[in-house]
Amino acid sequence: MNYRFDWTPIWEQRDLILSGLWMTIAVSLVSLAISIVIGFVVGTGGASGSRSARLGAALFVDTMRNIPLLIHMYIWYMALAFLKLPAFACAVLGLSLYSGAYVAEVVRSGIGAVRRGQMQAALATGLTRIQAFRFIIYPQALRIIAPSLASLFSQLIKDSSLASVIAVAELTYEAGAIEGQTFRTFEVYITISVLYLILVTVASQLVMLVPGARNDASSARFADA
Amino acid sequence: MLDVITRNLPFLLAGLWTTIHLSIWTIVGGTLLGAVLGILRYVRFPVLGTASMLFIEFIRGTPLLVVLLITYFALPALLGYKTTAYNAALLGFILFTGAYIAEDFRAGLRSVRPGLIQAGLATGLTRWQVLRFVIAPQATRIVIPSLFNQYVRLLKFTSVASIIGVTELTGAALLINARDFHPVTLLGAVAVTYLVVCYALSMVGRVLYARFAVRT
Amino acid sequence: MSEAPIVEIRDLHKSYGATPVLRGCTMNVNRGEVVVVCGPSGSGKSTLIKCVNGLERYQSGSIKVEGIEVGAKDTDLPKLRSRIGMVFQHFELYPHMSVLKNLELAQVHVLKRSRAEAAERGRQLLKRVGLEAKADAMPVDLSGGQQQRVAIARALALDPQAILFDEPTSALDPEMIHEVLQVMTELATEGMTMMVVTHEMGFARRVANRVVFMDAGEIVENAGSEEFFSRPRTPRATEFLSKILSH
Repeated sequence: MNYRFDWTPIWEQRDLILSGLWMTIAVSLVSLAISIVIGFVVGTGGASGSRSARLGAALFVDTMRNIPLLIHMYIWYMALAFLKLPAFACAVLGLSLYSGAYVAEVVRSGIGAVRRGQMQAALATGLTRIQAFRFIIYPQALRIIAPSLASLFSQLIKDSSLASVIAVAELTYEAGAIEGQTFRTFEVYITISVLYLILVTVASQLVMLVPGARNDASSARFADA
Repeated sequence: MLDVITRNLPFLLAGLWTTIHLSIWTIVGGTLLGAVLGILRYVRFPVLGTASMLFIEFIRGTPLLVVLLITYFALPALLGYKTTAYNAALLGFILFTGAYIAEDFRAGLRSVRPGLIQAGLATGLTRWQVLRFVIAPQATRIVIPSLFNQYVRLLKFTSVASIIGVTELTGAALLINARDFHPVTLLGAVAVTYLVVCYALSMVGRVLYARFAVRT
Repeated sequence: MSEAPIVEIRDLHKSYGATPVLRGCTMNVNRGEVVVVCGPSGSGKSTLIKCVNGLERYQSGSIKVEGIEVGAKDTDLPKLRSRIGMVFQHFELYPHMSVLKNLELAQVHVLKRSRAEAAERGRQLLKRVGLEAKADAMPVDLSGGQQQRVAIARALALDPQAILFDEPTSALDPEMIHEVLQVMTELATEGMTMMVVTHEMGFARRVANRVVFMDAGEIVENAGSEEFFSRPRTPRATEFLSKILSH
C-alpha cells in the first residue's frame, strides 16, 4: 500500500463540506416533512374501508416505490424541465414522492395494528371519524411505527446523496468538487461517509423522541392482544 | 415521438441486459456475503463477529452512491489497483446489499425459538449441526420476504451505477438523451421498465414464500 | 443389583447472577427406575433436569451420567446427550420437517445410521406411539398430544439409556394429557429409566418408584413413592400435596 494520506486539503475545504452538510440536512428535513404528509394521507387511504381508496393508495405506493429514486430526480429535473423548477425543488419532490410511498406502507400497517375495537369505541363516544383518527388511532399507530419511521428517515438522508446528480450542492456533490480539486480521493469519501454515519445515527435517535416510542414492543404486543 | 425508443431499441435492450446481469451477480454475491456475515454475528464468532458488525454498521450508514464512489475511486487509489466501472459497481453493490441482507439473516436466525435449539442439542447434535439442520433451514424460509425486498431495492439501485459510467438501463437512456434529447419519452420508458421488472421480481418472492413458508 | 446409578447428582449449585436456583441438590437415578421430580413452580426442578444433559451449566457440585462428569471440559456432550433422551414441555418438534424426518435427523447425523435404517426405526416407533399414519404429516397439523407422542418417539429413536421428561403434559389440554401419560406408563412398564418433572401426582403414585420433592432450589424429600404420598416427612411437602391433590 503506497498511498500517502494527506488530510490537510480536506481541512482547508471545511467550509465547502459544511455547506454541503447543511444542504443535505435541509433537503432531508423538507423531504421528510412532505413525505410524512403524503404517507399519512395515502396510508390512511390504504387502511380505510373504501375499496377505491385502498386501490388508489396501492397504485400510488406500487408505482412510486418501484421507480428508482434516480429516475424520480431526472424526471422532475429533465423530463419536466418546462416547469423550470429549481434543482432543490426537484430533489425534494423526487425524494418526497419516493419516500412518501414507503411512509404510506408503514402508516397503513401501523393503523392496521391498532385494535379494531378502538375505532368503534371512539365512534361510540360520539367522536367523528376524523377526531377518532386524530386522538385515538394516530397516537397509538405512531408509537408502533416510530422505529420503522426512524429507519426510513435514515434511509432518506442517505438517499438525498442522489440529489448531487441534478447539481444540488449537498454533501456528496461537494465531495466530488473537492476530490476534483485536491485528488485526495480516499480522504474525501471517507470523510463524507463518516459525516453521513453521524447524521444517520443522530436522525434515528431523534425519532425516538416520539412519546412512548421506546415502549414500541409492549404497545405492539398490546395491539395484537 | 416513440421513434426515439424504436430507433435505439438494441442499445436500450443492451442496457437492460446489463441491469439484469449486474443485479443477478449482486443477488448471488450479496446473499452469500450476507449469509456469512449474518451467521458470524449470530454465533458471535470471536473477532470476525465484531468485524462483521463494524462493517455492517459502516455500510448501512453510508449512501449507496458514496459506496460506489469508494469502490470506483477511493479503494483503487488506496490499494493501487485498476478497476472498471462495471466491476467497481458490482463490488459496491455486493458489499452494500450483503450488509443489509446480513441483518435480515441475523434477525431470521434469532427468530427461531430457543426451545428448538435445546431440542436439537438434547438429541446429541453439535452446535453446528443444530445451526445447519434446525435453525438455518427455518431462518432461510423466514427471510424470503426480506430478501426479495432487498433484491427489488437493489434492482432499482443499479440505476445509480450510471453515475460512475456503467451503461445499464439508466445510463443507456441518458446517453441517448444527451444526443437526441427526448427526456419525457426516454425517462418514461425507463420508469415503466423498472416498474415492470421490479413488480415481477417481488411476485417471484411472494410465490416462493407461499410455497416454502414454515407453518407454526 | 449393585450397578452404578445412570444419573448421579452431588451437591449441585447454580445461580443466575445473584439469584440462586439450585442450592446443593443431591440425588440419583438408578437403572430401570422411574423418578418423579415435583415441587412448586420456581423450585428449580426444570433447571435441575436440564443440567443433567448439559443444556444448563452449573457452578459447583457434580453430575455424572453413566459415570461421565457432565460439566467437565473434555466431556463429549453430543455423545452423552445422544444416550439420554429428552422430552420438552412445548414438544419442540422441528416445524420445517415432517414427523418422520424429525425422528430421522439425529439418527442419521449423530448415530450415523443410514437414511433407510433411520426411517425404518422411525416408523417402528411411530407405530408404537400409535401415530404410524402421521409419518408424512407436518408437526403443525398434529394435536398437542400427538406432537408430544412424536417427541417421545424422537427421543426413543436414539435407543437412549434413560429419558428426561421436562413437564411433558403441562402445555396440553386436559383431554390430551391421558394419551401422553399412557405412552409414558408403557415405557416405564418396559423398564425404561426415566426422570420426570411433572405435576401429575396420579402418574407419580401409580408409576414412579421414587419421588423427589423440591422447594426453593433444595431437595426437601427423596422417598419411595408409596411413602411420599402416605407419610410425607416435611410440612412443605405436606402443604404442596394438599394443594395439588385438592385440585
